[in-house]
Amino acid sequence: MAREVAESCIDSINLELVHTYATRLHPTKPELAARRIEAIGFQVGLQLAERYTKERPRFGDHLEAIKFICKDFWAEVFKKQIDNLKTNHRGVFVLQDNRFRWLTRFSLDAPTSGNGTSSSEANQANSARASQAAGQYLYFPCGLIRGALTNFGVPCAVSAEVSALPACSFIVRIKG
Amino acid sequence: MIVCVAVVGQQNNPLYIQSFTNGDDTLKFHYIVHCSLDVIDEKVSNPKKLGVSLNETFLGLLYPTEDYKVFGYLSNTKIKFILVTTDQDLRDADVRNIFRRFHAAYVDAASNPFHVPGKRITSPAFAERVSSIVKSFGAAPVP
Repeated sequence: MAREVAESCIDSINLELVHTYATRLHPTKPELAARRIEAIGFQVGLQLAERYTKERPRFGDHLEAIKFICKDFWAEVFKKQIDNLKTNHRGVFVLQDNRFRWLTRFSLDAPTSGNGTSSSEANQANSARASQAAGQYLYFPCGLIRGALTNFGVPCAVSAEVSALPACSFIVRIKG
Repeated sequence: MIVCVAVVGQQNNPLYIQSFTNGDDTLKFHYIVHCSLDVIDEKVSNPKKLGVSLNETFLGLLYPTEDYKVFGYLSNTKIKFILVTTDQDLRDADVRNIFRRFHAAYVDAASNPFHVPGKRITSPAFAERVSSIVKSFGAAPVP
């Protein structure tokens, strides 16, 4: 029997996870906090990969595994597919999501005015700050992708970039 | 009757092996399972020659011995499931179904946060589920 969990719980747990690791456990070592969160995502990715591929034929090559991540895996976890997949055919894949579900609830601070800068500049600085802040909420999904791919026998490194909220892209570099 | 089941990990490391006979022949089954790993490797590396349909998880009969038939199943994540039975005429569909249930049991066991990936499965719930699958298979009416 499939058991379900409210989406708001998942949102909250991701917020709390980042908060706990980044500000409470390792406030002075952001790198370590990132690694810890990524490791949790990794294990979840391993487990989900096993579950979601239960009823399908085996993958022939790396590209098939990546496509699976973009379509079925993303649809299962985030209820939508990846919007754009790019590759340089040398082991680097860029998965772009124009509306990443975990970033859709983020709101920007009101731009600070009256300090001499024009409002468009302030807006720009503001969204840059927001993108940076959003980055730490993507450690977990990065781990998720790496875990799933590792389980399919595709060793890789995954990083994320936030361009303009709520769009983001995941960069997968296959090793070896 | 199923006499032995085994779950083998990505690096051919044993995750779970259990025999279902009263005799003291565990070692023999270990040996059979060990041999079948080579057959799996061979089937996977040249699928065309051996006529396995493209990348299916169910690998079919691995090899028959005098007393046993050995079946294999390879998941997307390179986890191998091996089944040793004494039945001589089995339908593929039945074996496939058994493997599917084994895989489901494994997935649930592996999703346990206390299970360390790549280590032996120690969960008693998994052992119980496997033995109930084995029993249900033995109890199925033979046509």
